[in-house]
Amino acid sequence: MIPDFLESLARELDFDRSLSRCVRQEVEDHLWEAVAADSTGNTLQAQRRAIANFGDARAIAAQFAVVSLAQRTRRAGIATVLVIAGDLIAMKARVAWYAAAQWGISDDMRALRGLVILIDRYAFWTSVIVGLGALAYILSREIPAAFSPAFRRQLRCFSVLCSATAAALVVSVISDGVLTALQLRGMEPSVEIWVAIFTMAVEIACVGLLVFHIRSNTQRAASTAALLKA
Amino acid sequence: MLKGHLDMIVLAALASGSAHGYAVIEEIKRRSGGAFDLPEGTIYPALHRLEQAGLLKSTWTTADSGRRRRVYTLTRTGTRALAERRAVWKQFSDAIGGLLGASRPRETPA
Repeated sequence: MIPDFLESLARELDFDRSLSRCVRQEVEDHLWEAVAADSTGNTLQAQRRAIANFGDARAIAAQFAVVSLAQRTRRAGIATVLVIAGDLIAMKARVAWYAAAQWGISDDMRALRGLVILIDRYAFWTSVIVGLGALAYILSREIPAAFSPAFRRQLRCFSVLCSATAAALVVSVISDGVLTALQLRGMEPSVEIWVAIFTMAVEIACVGLLVFHIRSNTQRAASTAALLKA
Repeated sequence: MLKGHLDMIVLAALASGSAHGYAVIEEIKRRSGGAFDLPEGTIYPALHRLEQAGLLKSTWTTADSGRRRRVYTLTRTGTRALAERRAVWKQFSDAIGGLLGASRPRETPA
């Protein structure tokens, strides 16, 4: 009887595999402890009573879904800042490489380059400020006990901040792509070129990761809302 | 009403020492004289939430039965939070007690 209940609880918690495993072990210990403490001596009846006292698996899973979503949102906030840091490292590494290789740029492209650098700078620092704001916002909120309207507002606000961060970072990465193209224009394929291309790939991967995090967080919020409605 | 104070109740149950989920529930039942009749499973999301908030920390141990057991302990932040909630609760309880206990009729102005 207890294994069946644990199986159904684990199924309800399937939205978060590691949480499901961990809760299953915890609840298993709880239920068998309750059976051991039962004084009637009838194991089957004791199991039934332990499960009844524990509560409905779906209702418990719904409460865990809120906790899990809150944790995931916090992680997304930290990931946002780490992604920006990764982007900055790749950007700085490429600039350092240009300096070490003493690569210049043709005079006719200098004006365009200046404009793109300006856009890049503004976009990047916008992403830094908004990204840090998103992290500070989510870390300063209390972890909710329920999927309340206040928590929904919190999630919406965080999602807007993260989307703004991602948009600014996309502009910055596109600008970096233009700058790299200007820098590499007319150069023969060589190992040096691949360093610039690799750092660009890292920047693109960072933005991709951020978009993935925002998207999966939005999906999780929707599935949590659905679980609580059902 | 109980739901709104569940965090404080769980923190208070852990104030006397580390315990696993089942022991926390037993402690709540014992100290409240069985007054709180909530589904036992409700405690676990609360324990996880309090751990996330940094008010509790947990470690996995192996029980005598050989089963894996998660044991929760109050952190320093948790102890502080409990003291704050206790103070707020006492203030609230004193105020309500004063209101409900006041049997003296209001003085009429001369």
